[in-house]
Amino acid sequence: MNEELDSQLSAMFDDELPEDQCQLLARRLSRDDALKARWRRYAVIGAAVRAGRADGQPTVRLETNLASRVSAVLSTEPALTGVPAAETRKTAGMRWWHPVVGGAIAAGVAAMSVLWIRGDAPVGVGAQLADNAAASVAVSGLRAEVAADTSAPDSFVVPTNVQRNRIVPTAELANYVVAHSEYSAPAFRRNLISALIASNEGTAGVVDESDDANVVESPAENVEEEK
Amino acid sequence: MSADVSDLSLVRRVQRGDKGAFDALVLKYQHKVVKLVMRYVRNPAEAEDIAQEAFIKAYRALPQFRGDSAFYTWLYRIAINTAKNAVVSRDRSPIDFDLDLQNPDESYDMQGRLADKETPEALTLTDEIRSTVNAAIEALPEDLRMAIVLREIEGLSYEEIAESMGCPVGTVRSRIFRAREAIDRRLREVFEGGLGRAEELG
Repeated sequence: MNEELDSQLSAMFDDELPEDQCQLLARRLSRDDALKARWRRYAVIGAAVRAGRADGQPTVRLETNLASRVSAVLSTEPALTGVPAAETRKTAGMRWWHPVVGGAIAAGVAAMSVLWIRGDAPVGVGAQLADNAAASVAVSGLRAEVAADTSAPDSFVVPTNVQRNRIVPTAELANYVVAHSEYSAPAFRRNLISALIASNEGTAGVVDESDDANVVESPAENVEEEK
Repeated sequence: MSADVSDLSLVRRVQRGDKGAFDALVLKYQHKVVKLVMRYVRNPAEAEDIAQEAFIKAYRALPQFRGDSAFYTWLYRIAINTAKNAVVSRDRSPIDFDLDLQNPDESYDMQGRLADKETPEALTLTDEIRSTVNAAIEALPEDLRMAIVLREIEGLSYEEIAESMGCPVGTVRSRIFRAREAIDRRLREVFEGGLGRAEELG
C-alpha cells in the first residue's frame, strides 16, 4: 500500500484533507476494498480509544457487522440517481428567469427593428411594419409613438430622394435576429424578415444595395430553412 | 480547512449513485451512532438495530441533503429520532419479539440473530480490541501519543493540535498517521484473520 495514499486517507478520516484530494480519494475509497478495510480500522481505533475512557458507560461493540447489514439491505434498493438537492435548487433558481430573458431580448429586437424601420424605410411601410412588430411583443409605448407618426400632418413635401440615417445597419440587425431566433415568436420573425426585405426593395434606389441586399437574403433563407 | 469536506465528498458520490461511498460513511460513523443510540437503549444489540435503521433512513433521505449542515449532525438527528420512535414503539408492545404466527421462520430468525449478537465471544473481542489499542497507544513515542489522543479523545483539529504542540500542521498530520499505523499493526498482529471477520460473515 502506498504510504502517501494511507497518509491522505488518515487525513481524510479527520476531515483534514483538501477538497480536491478528498474528491479523488472518495472515488477510490468507494471501490478499493483494501482502502475501505483500512478506513474501517481507523474507525475502530478511534472508537477503542474513546471507549477506554468511558468507565461505567455501556460498551459499544467495536467488532460489528453493522456496515455489512446496512449494505445488504441497501443492495436490494436502486442506487440514488437524483442530482443533489443543493444543485437542483440552484438549477431551479436559474430556470425561472430564462423566459424573462427571452422576452427581454425579443422586446429589444422589436424595439431596434422599429427604430431601424423608422430610420430606413419609407414612412408608410415603416409605420405599418413597426406597428405589426410592436403588436407582437406588446410594446404599447412604442405603438403609441408609431401611431403618432402615422397621423397626417397639415402640409408636407415629400422629397424624391431622402438619405436617412440608419440607426442599425441592415446586416447586423438581420444577423442579430437570426442569432436570437429562439427567443422570438415565428410570426414576429416572419414579419421582421419581410420588413427587412421590403425595406431593401423600397430603398433600393437610395441606399447602396450592393452589400446589404446580399446580407439580408442570406439570413432570410436561413430562417425559412429553420422553419 | 473547512470541516466536513471529506464527508461531503462521499455524500456527493452517494447522491450520484455510488453505494460504495455510503459504506465508507457507515464504517466511519457506526460506532458513534451506536453510542449515541445507547443513550436511549441500553442493550447493545438493540442499539445496533436502531443504528442500522437510522443509516438506511439516512440513505433514503440523502437526495434531500443539501449540505447546509455537517453530514454527521444531520445523521445524528436521524439516529436520535429513530431511537426515540423505537423506544415509544417498544413501550407500546411489551413483548418485544413475540412469535409471528403468519411468518414463524422470520420471527425465529430475528430472535436468533439478536441473541447471537450478545454472545460472550463478541464482548470478549471488544475487550481485546480495546486493551490492544490502549497498549499500543502506551507504547507510542510521546509526540505520536499526544497527537492521536488530542485528536481522538479531545477532538481537536490539526491546527489546534499544531498550536498546542508547537509544530507545523504537516507534522501533526504525519504524527497522527504514524500513530494510527503503529496501532493498526498491533491490531492486525493480534487479530490476524479475526478483525474484519464479522464484516465478512455479515
